[in-house]
Amino acid sequence: MSALEGIAVRVEAMSGNVMPLLHEIRHALRRVAEGGQGTTIDLGSLPMAPGEDKRIEEMLGQGEVRAELNALGPTLVQETRYPGVWFITHRNTEQEVIARFIEVTRMPELLLAQADDMRRAVSELDLTLNSGNGQVSHDDH
Amino acid sequence: MRKDQSLGEYLFAQGVSRRGFLKFCSATASLMALPPSMVGRVAAALESARRPSVIWLSFQECTGCTESLTRSHAPTVESLIFDAISLDYHHTLQAAAGFAAEEAREAAMQENSGKYLLVVDGSIPMGNPAYSTFAGISNLDMLKETAANAAAIIAVGTCAAFGGIPHANPNPTGAVSVSDIIKDKPIINVSGCPPIPVVITGVLAHFLTFGSIPDLDELGRPKAFFGQNIHDRCYRRPFYERGQFAKTFDDEGARLGWCLYELGCKGPTTYNACATLKWNEGTSFPIGSGHGCIGCSEPDFWDKGSFYRPISAGLWGSREALLGAAAAGAAIGIGSALAARSRKKKAAAEEAKSS
Amino acid sequence: MTLLDFARGPALQLSLVILIAGSLWRLVGTILLNARKDLSRPRHKSALADGMKAIATRSLPAHVFEKRIRFQHFSGYAWHIALFVSVLFFAPHILFFESVLGFGWPGLPNGIILATAAITIAILVALLIRRASHPVQRLISNADDYISIVLVIVPLVTGILAFAHVGGRYETLLAVHLLSVEAMFVWFPFGKLMHAALTFPSRFQAGSSFGRKGVRA
Repeated sequence: MSALEGIAVRVEAMSGNVMPLLHEIRHALRRVAEGGQGTTIDLGSLPMAPGEDKRIEEMLGQGEVRAELNALGPTLVQETRYPGVWFITHRNTEQEVIARFIEVTRMPELLLAQADDMRRAVSELDLTLNSGNGQVSHDDH
Repeated sequence: MRKDQSLGEYLFAQGVSRRGFLKFCSATASLMALPPSMVGRVAAALESARRPSVIWLSFQECTGCTESLTRSHAPTVESLIFDAISLDYHHTLQAAAGFAAEEAREAAMQENSGKYLLVVDGSIPMGNPAYSTFAGISNLDMLKETAANAAAIIAVGTCAAFGGIPHANPNPTGAVSVSDIIKDKPIINVSGCPPIPVVITGVLAHFLTFGSIPDLDELGRPKAFFGQNIHDRCYRRPFYERGQFAKTFDDEGARLGWCLYELGCKGPTTYNACATLKWNEGTSFPIGSGHGCIGCSEPDFWDKGSFYRPISAGLWGSREALLGAAAAGAAIGIGSALAARSRKKKAAAEEAKSS
Repeated sequence: MTLLDFARGPALQLSLVILIAGSLWRLVGTILLNARKDLSRPRHKSALADGMKAIATRSLPAHVFEKRIRFQHFSGYAWHIALFVSVLFFAPHILFFESVLGFGWPGLPNGIILATAAITIAILVALLIRRASHPVQRLISNADDYISIVLVIVPLVTGILAFAHVGGRYETLLAVHLLSVEAMFVWFPFGKLMHAALTFPSRFQAGSSFGRKGVRA
């Protein structure tokens, strides 16, 4: 590996996608702020220069909310320094990135509890409550 | 996964929550190059999608396309989609061999007649049926037999789509593509040497989601992935516009990541998704790693001159031929001048005589 | 074989052969025709100096005509210079010359080339319209004149279309551009375009022969 490190390659900093993306986000954010619909931008559809996706993440920064999901692998939902702009990174169980989105919305749908899941939860709770005849077993560990 | 289960039921049975299913649909929509606004439709379609039977026939190929598809070890979206299809026949991946394998294929074809997907990789030799056979059946016969009751055919890789490397000069086996043989079934050409894995699964996902063929360009390739050429989506384009080119593979320009046009990049005439989707889960692509595009998703790319000769240099033959043309031209010029001068001399002499 | 393969391959080969063989035939044949007997004493000893001087002096209009042909003079130089810049300093073109000659040279940014090509087309089209509408020009123009000017305009226009990816798939646009250049190559030795090679020998010949007589060329 050290032999590879020895090759002096300086990639000229390119930021062709960053500014247009920020403009798009700004327009979308304005729309949401005025009560309009949200927008989702698929970063996989943009031809990124090397390091550009890192640059976009750095420019957007980190805000107050950070949510980690665990569904078919980890997903990170990070509110950026601009409230209403969320950076979503989907990974599989091997930590490989499978998709990245920027969602401009009040709350990403992914964070909301889903109707089907809640219905299933009700059935499960029913089972738990009924099986114990109303007595919930305590766990001392 | 049970055959009669829908994909949605299969995932829920695996303990995947609705949230997880939505994540899966978002990634699948992204993979199919669909806008995020289509995720809802994808979710609705996948929920009720049935498992299609898929028969994979490998002809004159290097197995690179199968390798490209099966490189992932973990449940990625690609492998989930792969699990979602019922791969009833595949030489490299199946456990069965010999008669058992052929029986499985025939059973699948009968059971799903008119509904199964036929995936082909590798070209078909027409020179002599014996060049490529299995179970004593030539590729040509097996293709015709299996294609007869297929719903659609996906020709994976440049070999199946356009003939590929076996088809290259001098084409010793008489290799041809799937569309050269089958004329009465819808054929989706997923070209590339190999194709990007997500492009293969994207096409499968499209079939799974919508039960139909995606929009195709005039070479039969899905426009979603082959609609743009590499040059138009290349991140090094600004260098091309400013006239900043790498002259060798290790000069200053190369180190600064400048345009590779002068080193033979065929980006402008190649249509594929490498510049956006990239390879190895979006890590990089040939140009990103400093090597020009070789045009591997185009027909006859092996026969378009050196990979390192720029597109504009053309294939005009040898310098000796041009020097020969120059010599010939000069010779004719000298000859015609001498002839004209002798005519003039003769005319002058005649005039002198008559006067 | 696709159209682009044909344009880059056999068509380019044939047109280059015709261009080179034809041009040398005409050039050598024309130059070697001159063998006039020297019947009197030359006024100046050196025909060479007079010839070279004529090449320079005939680059500008004769004093008596200056005002009248000012438009042709400036527009002519403008489009010729703009054409040479577009052809010789565009990176993909330089690569073509490099493949033929064995050496290249630095190019200019694409934006500049686009501008010079557009200027060339604009002037050429204006001159073409003038040639077709001006009474004197119409009288003295023949097919050769029109063919030559059109065969220069078409490669410029198709070149810009290919560069901008406008009007069809890139491979088709590029093939059409190459074919239009090849058409010009084939026509070059046989029509008015040959002035590119004949101008300097022609001025030299006029200058040295007038110089012999003691007349200013």
